[in-house]
Amino acid sequence: MSGDIHISIVGLPSSGKTTFLAALWHMVREVGAGTALSFDRLSQGNYEHLNALAKRWRSGTIQQRTQVSGAKAVTMRLKDDDGQKVEVSFPDLPGEDFSRMWERRELDKGMLETLTAPSLVLMINGDTIKMPAWLVDWTTLQRKLGIVPPEKEPIEWSADLAPTQVRIVDLLQMLMSGELNIGGRRLALLISAWDKVEGEGQTPAEILENKLPFLSQYLRSGRDPWTWQVWGLSSQGGVYEDPEKDESFAETDRLRDLERPSDRIKVVDGDTVISDITKPLKWLID
Amino acid sequence: MATQQLACNNADCNFASDGKCVEGFEIEECPHAGLSLEDIPEAEESATAVEPPEPTIALASGEALARDNASNLQRRNVSRSIGLIGPNDSGKTSLIAGVYDLLQDGPLSGAAFAGSSTLIGFEKVCHLARAVSRRAIPHTERTSRGADATFFHLDMHQEGLGFTSLFISDRSGEDYLAVTDQISQADQFFEIRRADCITLLVNGAQLANPKLRHEVKAATPQIVDALVEARAIRGGCRLAVVLTKKDSVVISQHPDRVQKDFDEMVESIIKTHATHLGEVKSFVVAASPKDCEQVSRGEGVADLLLYWLRPNIPVVAGGDGAPAIFERMIDLLTDTGTEK
Repeated sequence: MSGDIHISIVGLPSSGKTTFLAALWHMVREVGAGTALSFDRLSQGNYEHLNALAKRWRSGTIQQRTQVSGAKAVTMRLKDDDGQKVEVSFPDLPGEDFSRMWERRELDKGMLETLTAPSLVLMINGDTIKMPAWLVDWTTLQRKLGIVPPEKEPIEWSADLAPTQVRIVDLLQMLMSGELNIGGRRLALLISAWDKVEGEGQTPAEILENKLPFLSQYLRSGRDPWTWQVWGLSSQGGVYEDPEKDESFAETDRLRDLERPSDRIKVVDGDTVISDITKPLKWLID
Repeated sequence: MATQQLACNNADCNFASDGKCVEGFEIEECPHAGLSLEDIPEAEESATAVEPPEPTIALASGEALARDNASNLQRRNVSRSIGLIGPNDSGKTSLIAGVYDLLQDGPLSGAAFAGSSTLIGFEKVCHLARAVSRRAIPHTERTSRGADATFFHLDMHQEGLGFTSLFISDRSGEDYLAVTDQISQADQFFEIRRADCITLLVNGAQLANPKLRHEVKAATPQIVDALVEARAIRGGCRLAVVLTKKDSVVISQHPDRVQKDFDEMVESIIKTHATHLGEVKSFVVAASPKDCEQVSRGEGVADLLLYWLRPNIPVVAGGDGAPAIFERMIDLLTDTGTEK
């Protein structure tokens, strides 16, 4: 492991990309964190953005959504246990840009470099997966329950109504075709907001299988050369507060009371739960 | 009023020199006069320069494929071309949507989704059967009459068998019915000439309706007759005859009679065209039922999908020692020319 590694973080809007970066930046610099990848040294870059993200993360406040288009690149110089050094750059592609690829069927040329990275972190918010639902199932259930549904104005089709798994599959297909096709790639699939999902008692692979079966079939079939693995991820460990809404939660206070801020993080690999948020990245660059 | 001192902020107006308003107003009424050019403030330069829009790369539309695009894709994997035929309202689009929607839940009888270049097209045809459309009952848009056939694409993976690309054609039912009036209409059905498996849909709801029953029994086989007569269906082609809308059949007054009528129709097709067609197999499906009390959503669809995915049996020539005919559908589909 050496040299420059480019890892792109992609995902639909509100999939937790920025919070992931914030937690990562904090953890690799936290004294005694014992991560698979740790902070090496600062280079000549500007760390204002990363520091601001990590500061908000530590304080238990949600990240502000200020950036809606164009990738914001951040770079970290990291090293592994053997002292091997690597510079990892994370173009943090706004979810809106990724979403536009599905809806408008085009992408800005400026996104080419980001989207042709050999390693990708794909984040899917496990708490907001939009699953397909069929009218006939609904109406049958309503009739059995004796519910008379209120009349509503029918909604015309638009691309943004598509189920999460369909959008993700098509975006992954796009990354394997045309100018974006660079051949085989590594894909770390992170199901975020794991603190909201874990109550269901399923492993990340089971969530993929049961809540995103269309995506699961696509990846498992191996038609497109993805080398992939799925993790569950809670970058916050629980709910954070929105300062603009003057929120105050006991749960956030409990997170703040933890000895180390990194103890809030949960990275789930099968049945194993750790707090090392660098594990998926180590897998990507090994 | 010293009109000569006035100017007009309309560039086409020479009021300052000839005293005439180009728009014909009296000077007191003209909304543009009264300002000298010096009075007009220069536009302030924008504090931030407007950046030209970023050049974009067009991505595949994701819509159902035209003939040429389908041909290009067929080169990638082993492929099966499915020609869906049937009168209007026989359930062609519902069947296409039904296959796709069932795959949203997981593999079908061991056949797993592996990819598709027509996800937008699938999403559109599924919309009116989804809860998000806020309709009261499931519905499917009718395919436009007279439009060229398009293809929905699914890459499927089966353990031990690998990948198979399915290309399912979609064309208006009225166009297929028209061939019974004028056989030359069949010339335009390139999707039928190229099909590995023709799938004839029989409207179960209409077959259960006493007023429409006999028309369905008469008209449906006539489509096959006309297509065979026009040599639009290749010799040895497999045929799936599908009774659709099972939900309507089971709640009808005569479900057994519907099944009997359907079986007789299939037998009649086999009897008439046994020498021309390959295997003929019948199916009963409820691809997009309006009610799930009696049948389950997608009932019968998985069996049909497996039939579509089955490999073709090479057409063996007569006992004259000539080699077996094994035509690649891709060669036929890309042949745009003058088939006889």
